[in-house]
This record gives sequence, structure tokens and C-alpha cells, in this order.
Amino acid sequence: MNVNEIGKKMKMKKRFNRDKLNAKSSGLIILTALPVLLFIILTIFTLTILSINLITAQTEASAVSTSYCCEKTISGAWCQNAPKESCDETNGLRINPSSCEATSYCKKGYCYDSKEGTCMENAPQKVCELEGGTWTEDTGETPPQCELRCCLIGDQAAFVTPVRCKKLSSLYSLETDFRSDITNEVQCIASASSDVKGACVFEENFETTCRLLTKKECQSFKENYEGNQTKVNFHEGFLCSAEELATNCGPTEETKCIEGKDEVYLVDSCGNLANVYDADRIKDTNYWTKIYDKVDSCGYGKSNGDSKSCGNCDYYLGSTCRAYEVSKDKARPSYGDNICRNLACEYNGQKYEHGETWCASNTKGGIGKESVGGKDFRLVCYNNEVSVEPCAEFKQQLCLQSDVNGFSSAACRQNIWQDCFVQTTQGDCENSDKRDCKWIEGASLANPQEGSLSNQGTTQPFKGTEEDKTAGTNSITGQAIFGGIFGGDDSSKDNEDNKNKGACLPLFPPGYDFWNPNGGDAESFCSMADSQCIVKYQKTALGEKECIENCECLDDSWIDDKMEVCVAIGDCGDKVNFVGKAGYDEGYSTKLKKYEPEETSSKK
Amino acid sequence: MKLLRNKSGQITLFIIIALVIVGLAVLFYLFFPKIQVAFGLTPKNPQAFMQNCLEDDLQNSANKLSLQGGSLEPQLYLLYESNKIEYLCYQEEYYLPCIVQQPMLKTHIEKEIKTAVREKVGECLDDLEKTFEARGYSVSLSNGEYQVELLPGIIEVSFSNVLTLTQGEEREVYGSADNPQKKIRVLLHNNIYELISIANSIINWESNYGDSETTIYMNYYHDLKVEKYKQGDGSKIYILTDRIKGDKFQFAVRSVAWPPGI
Repeated sequence: MNVNEIGKKMKMKKRFNRDKLNAKSSGLIILTALPVLLFIILTIFTLTILSINLITAQTEASAVSTSYCCEKTISGAWCQNAPKESCDETNGLRINPSSCEATSYCKKGYCYDSKEGTCMENAPQKVCELEGGTWTEDTGETPPQCELRCCLIGDQAAFVTPVRCKKLSSLYSLETDFRSDITNEVQCIASASSDVKGACVFEENFETTCRLLTKKECQSFKENYEGNQTKVNFHEGFLCSAEELATNCGPTEETKCIEGKDEVYLVDSCGNLANVYDADRIKDTNYWTKIYDKVDSCGYGKSNGDSKSCGNCDYYLGSTCRAYEVSKDKARPSYGDNICRNLACEYNGQKYEHGETWCASNTKGGIGKESVGGKDFRLVCYNNEVSVEPCAEFKQQLCLQSDVNGFSSAACRQNIWQDCFVQTTQGDCENSDKRDCKWIEGASLANPQEGSLSNQGTTQPFKGTEEDKTAGTNSITGQAIFGGIFGGDDSSKDNEDNKNKGACLPLFPPGYDFWNPNGGDAESFCSMADSQCIVKYQKTALGEKECIENCECLDDSWIDDKMEVCVAIGDCGDKVNFVGKAGYDEGYSTKLKKYEPEETSSKK
Repeated sequence: MKLLRNKSGQITLFIIIALVIVGLAVLFYLFFPKIQVAFGLTPKNPQAFMQNCLEDDLQNSANKLSLQGGSLEPQLYLLYESNKIEYLCYQEEYYLPCIVQQPMLKTHIEKEIKTAVREKVGECLDDLEKTFEARGYSVSLSNGEYQVELLPGIIEVSFSNVLTLTQGEEREVYGSADNPQKKIRVLLHNNIYELISIANSIINWESNYGDSETTIYMNYYHDLKVEKYKQGDGSKIYILTDRIKGDKFQFAVRSVAWPPGI
């Protein structure tokens, strides 16, 4: 049996020139992905060495260039690790060849505003003190002046510092009760209780009139009352319009929205608030006599959005009090000018409830489609308005959505693809708690591109997992699975070993800045899809060539399999962009080349 | 011939009218405060006068600062829809949470507003003197400072100057410590105080966790709109809007940015 030809394939395609693959004539097939095209074909080993050296050199340069802590950069940022030339050294600003964490002048701490009683974490000392703040180093414990406790203000609560509590008291002219025993925000909010309200009846201009106040407020009013104080009386739970109080305040058909409240309230003739607007009870004397709780008012537990008869709006159920507008409200209120505005949204012909969030994509095919420049978005419906929050570029974030009883919630979350390539088993690969990867049975990857996976210095968050460590040094470089054409003496053997294993690839292929001439990741990552296949032929007795080994490499399906791997790596191979347009080139190439004995020997 | 003569007559008339208009404009400009007084256009109360004089500039400064992250001339900024938006929390490196750049945001904005209206404050005080002198008052205005303070729902500019107006037996004193009611101050209704409190909370989240959840704020503050726009370099623009009053505050953050690839 003669070895007639070697088939070499690098990278793959869909719109592959099928004529080339109908390799009746012997030849060497080479498929090459766009970013590495001729470079890799010409000097495959040289490339490996050069690329590693290049990456190493870049890493070293990077390490040197980012090792200064600038107290301020030329661009105006405080306390950044940056190259020396980016540091501002004027006006006595300091620089140090170390990380900012290690310097005395850029340690992070608490910046306390003694006037406002507020604290800001993670602030550098100088910035804080320049504006008159008091800085305390972050030692892991909250400084006493920044400790938060419960401040009860009127019928509300705030989880703030003691000084802030006093400040709030002076700002809102309200008495406060600072509860240092409450150390939990939820408990603090729960402990807020409103003072009892009622009719505070008094005489003014020889008339008996009234104000709806809390008991405390009425007491205070009484103390400051210039007339006969005995004529100021508080009637707990009563409205000023109560007939038995005989005040000059009576029922009306007017309604009002109150800042900080959701409901539509009826108003009496003196301008005092009455109960929640209820068209069915607007003529009911009892409804104008006593104060009714929200729970005892109309439509409790429902949104009441667009209701013309009930003003018991609920923000969390999708409505709030607003002045009636023909263009925005579906129904006109039976009385007054205010209504529970339905806060739901309409987007692309679909209705979303107030508070719903959902996912969308700029990609033509929709969410999860692999397209260059594609990005997910989270859409948010609040107060009749839809706002769009883009997730991170380069598909570094994904939008995830879940629906419970038709109410959708979505969030942009990190696409954890970075350590996919170094996973050696299907179990580790598809461990969705740790990463977003998929296992492709039988697939293999070429160059591990160790530089790109390990050259990120201290800031690289994915430095390999426990499984990686157990796999030895290969796990860092990925040699355990990548092996392949760059690794050993017998590249075809390595390929053979990997063939029956598999490759771990991103579940959601990331984007790369492939246009970046200064060393983006596209080239190094996409080259992992490079592949070769050695096809052996034998001459028959009739002198015809007959394929005897790796004949499947001549089939279209081989190209398709390789393409599956290629596009899963990221913005590689034959892809279209997010508006559905193909690139200027095919995104890969193939070559057929006749086996040259000297070439083989030189490789070895 | 008659037509031509008529035409030249008309032109002369127009020129005369134009000269009169220009003359009046010059006179109006030169004697503006006195003219205002003569026509009763100026407020009769010094406090109202200052309010009237300074309000527009104060409003413009507040609007500009609100759109630029709290700085008149942002140094570290992101250009977004023609606005230079200051980074209030910034990290140049990838993967790391941001460093707070303006930990005393309220104080910083107060200083910026003070700087922005300084010139106008001087003009207004000069005009105040001139106006009341034109009304026949003997005016005494002491030297003093002015302070800008952000308060809930308002921006307050208060003056420590003492203004004494004397007309015959009548004497009025404004700005005296004895009578806080007559303190000279300018108030502008603006919710920047509330909005920067929210901004500070977002910055705290960003500097600790690298992101913030906008809906938390909108759930708690019913009239607040929080928008977050991620940019290609990992920066984020936050736009806080009071849905009722329309006041805005926008700022930039770069925290836990992710690079293309790794």
C-alpha cells in the first residue's frame, strides 16, 4: 500500500466549493478560517512559536505597562492601575510601580459626609478629603459613623446613620425616633407605623372648621393655637366631613392625587382628604363620616387600572393615581379628574404588565442566534413606558427570561464561556452551575492558544477550575484536549486520539473584536477550529486511485462537522452579522495539497 | 417721476424710523434698570428681585450639571448624545469593580452651581442696588458671601449680605441674622437632591458588585425612572428621571467591564 497523498484541511465552510471536495484527483485539502488565512497555511509551526512568543511578549509588556498606580491619570481618573505614561505627575500627584491596593495613597475606604451623615464606600482618601469629607480606611469593619440603624420619621422609616437621621428630621421638620437596636433594613421598614389620624376640629373666624391630622399633629396645633385651646378637639378615626362634628366641611365630588400615595382620594369642601374614591359610595353619609382602611375600600387586591368608579390603585398591581388624560386612560372617572392609571405597556403589539421585564435581541433570527454583532437586551415596563437596557457587548452577557403565570422577569447575566475550552470531560463541560458550555461528541480543537487563555494576569477571573488543576499543566494550556497538530511528533495520531472524545465549546458563542489590528482575540480563538485530515489512497491493479484511509474527510459532512465547531468558538467561520449580511470573505478556506515527503520530514 | 419721488420719500421715512428704533434700543440698554422701575416691571421686594434676576441662570446651571454628571467641565467623561457625561465611578481595567470618583457628590454639585452663577450673582446685586436707588431709596448693601445648598425638592442660594433700604423715615433691613424671614435667598424647584441620593446608591452598588438593578429603585420610588445603557467599552450611562417634574440626572460608570474575548 502506497501513501499517495496527504489531505490537509483547515477550517470549514457551508458554501464550500464542492468541486474542490470532489477530489477525484489526489491533493491536499486545506481549509482556513478568515482571520488566520494564509499566515497559518504558510508557516504552521513558525506561527505557533511566534504566536506564543508574541503573546508572551505582549503579556510582559502589558505587565510592565499596567503596573503603576496613578493617583490620578491624565484622563482625570483617580487611583487607577495604568501605564506610567498615563499617570498625571503634576501638582505633586503620586505614582508608584505597584498595584493601587498596595499603595498608601490609593487605599479604598469610607468617605463620610458629616454634614449629610452619609457614607460612600470604595473611595480613595484624596478624592474624599478634597471635597471636605472624612476618610476612614476600609479594614473590613464598618466605621461607627457609617453604621446604619433604623430611623423612624413620621409614618416612614429609613435605614441610615445617626447623623443622617437628625438631618432628615431637620430637612422634613419631622420628629424622628432613632432605633439603634434595629440592625436590619427589612425589620426597620416593617417597624414604621403611622400615627392615628382623625378630625382636628377648631374654631376659625367664628366658624367651626376642621383639618384631617394625626393625633400628634393635632396636639401640636392645639399648643400653638392662638384662640381658646379648649375648642381644639381631636376625633380619632373621623373625617372632617362627619355630620356629627358639625364643621363647615362637607362632601364634594372632587378627587385628588397625593404625592407618595397611589390611591385617588375624595376631598371635602375644606380641602381635607377623605376616603379612597368610590363612585358607588360618594353619596353615602357613612363613607364621609369615618376613615376607612385601604383594605376596606373598593376593589382591594386588584389593580383597578382604568376603573371609572374605584380609586383604590395599587402600584405593585399596576396602577397609580394620575390626572385623567383622554389619550392615556381608557375610561373617564365618574367623578373628579383623577383616575387609577393603568401602568401596563404595549410593545410590538404585545401587552406587558407594569414591572414586567423581558428579553429581546437585535439579531435577525432572535435571541440565541449566532450572529456577528448580535446583542441581547432587557426590556423593562414601568409606568406605561418601556425602557431598553442593553446587555454587554460581544455577547459577554446573555438575557435570561422566566415566566410565572404569564408575568415575565428577565435579567442580563454573564455568559460564562471563558473556560469552556479547557474542560476535558462532558460532566465538567456541561456543569451549568459553573459555565455555559456544550460538549460536542467526537469534535476536536486544534491549537489550544495557551496564551489567550492564560495571559490575562491577575485580573483574569477564569484561571481554571478544580477539574483543570487535577488535569495537570495541560489543563491550563488545554493540551489535554487540544493536542492535535501542534503538539506531538505524530499529529495524525493525536487527531485520532481526540476524534472519539469531544470538545467543550461555548453554549453561546462570544463575539470578538476581529477588526482590531492590535491583537484582538479573534485570531487566536478562531484558529482553534483549524483542522487537517490526511487522506490515503492506494493504486488499484488497474492503476486507478482508491481511497483507503480517512475517506470521510472527502465528504461534505466532514466540512459541516468542522463548521459546527468553528461557529461555536465565537465570531469565526461562515457567519452573518446581526442584520443578516454576510462578510466580505467566506470566513474560511480549504486547500487540497499533494503530500510532499520532505514536508513531512521537516515537520518531524 | 412722481412715483420715483414718492419712493425716495418712503425710503427716507424708513431710515428715520430705523434710526429712532436703534436709538431707543441703545437708551433702553443703557438705562434698563431705571426703565424697568419706571414701568413697574421690577419686583418691589429685594428677595423677589433676586429671585427674578437669578432664577434662569440657576435653572440653566442645574440643567447643565444634571446632564453632565454634576460637573460643569467634566474631566473624565463619556460622550453620549452630545453630552460630556462624567464618570462618577471608574475602573480602567477589565473585570474589576470601579473606584468612586465623586464620593461627596452633593458638595461637589453645590460648589459647581456656586461657580456657575458667580458672575450673575454679582450682576444681580449691582442691579438690586441700582434699581432701588432709582426708586428713591438710599441703599446700603454690605459685603457678603452666598451659599448654594441642595435640599429636598429645591436648590437654595442664600446670601449673607445685609441690604438696608431707607426712604425718609422708612427703613427696611434684609438679610439680617435677627430676621430670618427677610433673608435674601433664591429658590429653584428641582429634585436634584433626591436624584443624587439615588445616584449615590447606584454608585455604591457599582463599586461593590459591578452592577445595579434598576427595577429596585423604580419599585421603591414610584415616580422615578431609572435607565441604564451599556456602552461598547463596558461603560454604563445611568439616566434618572423624576416622572412627575421631569428633572433628570445622568452619569456614567465603568465597573466590571468585560473585554471582547478574554
